[in-house]
Amino acid sequence: MIAATRKRVWWMIVPALVLLVGFLVLPYASIVVMSLRTADTRAVYGEGFTLSHYAQIVTDPFIWGIVGRSLRMGLTVTVVTLLLGYPVAYHLANLRSRWASMLYIFVISPLLVGMVVRTFAWMIILSNNGVINGALKSLGLIERPILLLNTPLGVTIALIHVFLPFVILPLLGNLQAISPDLAAAGRSLGASRLRTFLKVTLPLSLPGIQAGAILVFVLSISAYVTPAMLGGTRGRTMSVLVVQYLVDSFRWPAGAALAIFMSAITLAIIVVYLRLTARAMRRLP
Amino acid sequence: MKLERRQFLTALGACAGAAAFGSRAFANAPFVVPTYGGTWAKFWEETLMPGLTKATGIPTQLDIGLGKDFVSKIRAGGDQAPYSVFMGNENIAAMLRAEGFFEPLDMAKLPNAAQLHDGLVNTGNNGLRAIVSPIGLAYRTDMVKDAPTSWTDLWENPEFKERIGLYQIGNTGAQLFLRLTGKLFGSGDTDFDTAFKKIQELVPFTQASWSGEVAAGLMRGDVIVAPVDWTEIMMLQDKGAPVAIVAPKEGVLAFEQSFNIVRTGAMKDEAHAYINYLIDKDVQANMAQAFYTSPSNKDSVLDPALAARLPINGPKMSEIIRFDWDSYVDLAPAVTDRWNREIG
Repeated sequence: MIAATRKRVWWMIVPALVLLVGFLVLPYASIVVMSLRTADTRAVYGEGFTLSHYAQIVTDPFIWGIVGRSLRMGLTVTVVTLLLGYPVAYHLANLRSRWASMLYIFVISPLLVGMVVRTFAWMIILSNNGVINGALKSLGLIERPILLLNTPLGVTIALIHVFLPFVILPLLGNLQAISPDLAAAGRSLGASRLRTFLKVTLPLSLPGIQAGAILVFVLSISAYVTPAMLGGTRGRTMSVLVVQYLVDSFRWPAGAALAIFMSAITLAIIVVYLRLTARAMRRLP
Repeated sequence: MKLERRQFLTALGACAGAAAFGSRAFANAPFVVPTYGGTWAKFWEETLMPGLTKATGIPTQLDIGLGKDFVSKIRAGGDQAPYSVFMGNENIAAMLRAEGFFEPLDMAKLPNAAQLHDGLVNTGNNGLRAIVSPIGLAYRTDMVKDAPTSWTDLWENPEFKERIGLYQIGNTGAQLFLRLTGKLFGSGDTDFDTAFKKIQELVPFTQASWSGEVAAGLMRGDVIVAPVDWTEIMMLQDKGAPVAIVAPKEGVLAFEQSFNIVRTGAMKDEAHAYINYLIDKDVQANMAQAFYTSPSNKDSVLDPALAARLPINGPKMSEIIRFDWDSYVDLAPAVTDRWNREIG
């Protein structure tokens, strides 16, 4: 009886396994193999295998500079979206109004427009003759335009806009699951609103913060369209460089090594982050 | 539901049967034609493909993407390429050719090739350049006092300083401009030391990934002068934008779409028929009308009003500056890398 149940359970995970192996493990394995191929300008790749692409990447200050910029950008976007998204999620979680659904639509509105269209809109807003510079000029606050387009700042602003819902939605689910009785109990014991928030609500919402932060960080450092269109050369990120290697220059082995290198760095950061946040969450009541 | 081994094997057999049916269906598959999106796809869909089918009886299916996508698909296809014909800029075609994916054209199957302008059929019949979009110097008529007349104006006209738009190195336009700079200021089009030094003098400039981005820069006014193709500027003019384009006195560059027979393609006769139809004089004239390319066929007749807007046509096609891309294949990775590090 137990054996039959186990057999049935095994069959149930087969579709998920097939998906994982077919769409994650095999493509990754193929990229790893490609990254170990030798380069050849007269063939897709040369004969034999080599670690030279990885050696070149890890010893190249130019690559490390772009890695640093990508990580800085990802970190900034994550922190700012958390700071902006938390109050919105908190407000929505406590809202008992018939306008709540309208606010939900506002929250997900950045996702309702196609990526390229949205990025073009940001180009218009951020350009030297765009909305921001135009407004500042007409107010007499600046004489020369502030450089926003083709800079890391421009990319960061646009990424914050699009990834805000990815922080708000997991946080909202988490905050709604926290019983209001807990905060009420804190207040009844004499704690101020701020103290109740800091000692009760905030710690209990850590799982939502953790999930939102990971989502936004990973999406930010792997974003391609926004940095490619708004970043120019000063805002070039690793994902743009990887695409340039693979698609513009057709250097598949070197591009694959660059992609694996970036994935490894991201994975390492996420593992460290998960360990740190898990430790913090273990202390929760 | 419990899946017995017998049932599993039956299902497997059914799948194999379906696959076999699929392979038979493949034998009657239409001829797959790769082309670009936007205006190009519209013209292919509405005019070119129906015309080809009517003229030759070949059923077709479009695959819309970028030349670089077609490269990836051909490379990934290995011995079973998804296309029998490749379309892409000549520098990209040269790379696939070097990798052994193409075979020479059978000129007996391309009677229209005899009417092509000089220089459009590659040495050894290794592909031909059927669609020509000349690149000149475009500028904002309302923001530029002295219209450019020479490529060197980009360096010499002070009003252009910091307001120039150039393609980024991933675009063929940047590679053309780099080689032109070497030719203008150095010992030749492979004098990259001089070319990089001169282009650094133009920094900071706006870099664009494709012509549409250059056009957007011109429209915003961030860019007031840029090397860009006639197609893009004519379309902006049609929308009433204050832009013009000139052919510099040294000659023009051009995006030249190279057509090649894919060695492992299954429909090479159809591929030849398609290329032959594409370089027909009337098809070329229609294409010029639709998206302002310069006819590659010497016998194409342009409407006088259109000819006035497209100065690079007929005998003027000889003003196109061309480079050898077959030998550039070995240099390309280092040039791209150098651009990233030195220009940004």
